[in-house]
Amino acid sequence: MLKPISVILSFCLILLSILAQADDATLLLERSDLAAKQLSYNGVFAMQKGEKLQSIRIIHRADGQGVIERLISLNGVEREFIRTNNMVTCIYPEGKRPQADRRPLGHGFPSDLLDRMVSAIDYYHLTLGQRGRVAAYQAQELIMQPIDQYRYGYRLWIEKDTALLLQADLINENGQVLEKFAFSSVDMNEEIADLLLQPQMVGNKMSWNRRDTQATINDAAKNTSKWKVTWLPEGFELTGHQNRFARNGSPLEQRIYSDGLSSVSVFMEKIRALHGHLKGGSKMGTVNAYGSIMNAHFVTVVGEVPAKTVEKISSAIQYIEE
Amino acid sequence: MTMNHSELLSALVDGELQGTELDFVLQILAEDKSAVAQFQRYQQTQDVLKGYGERGLSYNLANKISLALENEPVYSQKTRQHTAQVITLPTPFWKQMTGLAVAASVGALAVVGVMTQPQLASDTPMAAIDPPDKVITVAQTGERWTVDEPEIEYRLNNYLLEHNEQTSSAGVFSYARVVSYGAE
Repeated sequence: MLKPISVILSFCLILLSILAQADDATLLLERSDLAAKQLSYNGVFAMQKGEKLQSIRIIHRADGQGVIERLISLNGVEREFIRTNNMVTCIYPEGKRPQADRRPLGHGFPSDLLDRMVSAIDYYHLTLGQRGRVAAYQAQELIMQPIDQYRYGYRLWIEKDTALLLQADLINENGQVLEKFAFSSVDMNEEIADLLLQPQMVGNKMSWNRRDTQATINDAAKNTSKWKVTWLPEGFELTGHQNRFARNGSPLEQRIYSDGLSSVSVFMEKIRALHGHLKGGSKMGTVNAYGSIMNAHFVTVVGEVPAKTVEKISSAIQYIEE
Repeated sequence: MTMNHSELLSALVDGELQGTELDFVLQILAEDKSAVAQFQRYQQTQDVLKGYGERGLSYNLANKISLALENEPVYSQKTRQHTAQVITLPTPFWKQMTGLAVAASVGALAVVGVMTQPQLASDTPMAAIDPPDKVITVAQTGERWTVDEPEIEYRLNNYLLEHNEQTSSAGVFSYARVVSYGAE
């Protein structure tokens, strides 16, 4: 009689332990999100993607006036970024012409990533991993395992006391690290003087006003669209829908679906003349694309998700005949 | 060649075909050399009318079509491949083609980001980092689309730029992908 009761009790204890750990992991992620916005620090981090390694010094000050941040590339061509609350300035050597994304730098580093992680928390299993050292600090590993095979996972290392994100790995469905960011050294006790936030490079400048250009849903585009997507990964919702023209003048419809962290765009571009187009899958780094031709349109799904995700979404796209 | 085929070829040049008609006319081009020649004449005429000049005329369209179609016998939406394939068709926009290679490389740089320098081998652990317990190597990830055609790469780069602009979904490395130099 006692045996079944002890089994049930053991099961309950294990369950409670798992739930408690999940709560702890969620709290840690939320603490880290907050720390990224509130802490001041001066350090060097490396970013690795495939064979490429970029080393960058970051000087980040957060105070009552907001956030100001300076980044200096330490290898390759010299360049600096100065980011304030509303402006991003890139300083680059004379004679070099920067190619700039029109939405630069998001909402800061690394808070942008953490913000999005918190918003997508329902689609990941959060667990605490091992403890270790990163950049000479004691750190706690936080594992973000996706609930399905249609998005990438993350492994974070968060400083034990301040909750500053010290390392982040982007993990594919096979457990391989696709990209890695990690501090090699960071000082969180130093007061950041104004001088440290002044650009030291002499050269050309390019500035952007930061825009909150979150994707919007154009009702007219949505109502007149002849396309239907019949399957999406769990949690993915329409977050943007626009009609415009491609650079070659062809009508182009773009839909954006996201779970808050991962996102894909579906492009339907009318074929105006004979052009080659992707048929099947292609990838660049962590981004996958899947292309097809349907009803005289190039239909392409693009996103930083596994290959099977873009392929499955592509197969779920339908043209609604009038 | 029938009158109907000629009309279809003309419509193909104008980019007006879709669905089964598009599949049908591509099949004709795959099988009928006279159709390819006629298509070429229509194409050249349109290029001249649009003021694209003579630059592209020396390009052997017929051979390109034949070669491409030999390798791509099926253009139907119904057939899906797991690996990247290219539907290679002759483009009328020679003007676009002249700058295509440059544009493609610039586009790639724009999304690849600042990490443009030759660096360490992939199995090299992160510099100056004391990783917890074990060294984790970063998987090989290409810096360019796995496609053969510059035109397709260019289009995919444009799509990716549009996607990033709308979503700020640049993963862990949003900073690194933002700016690079076109004149490295």
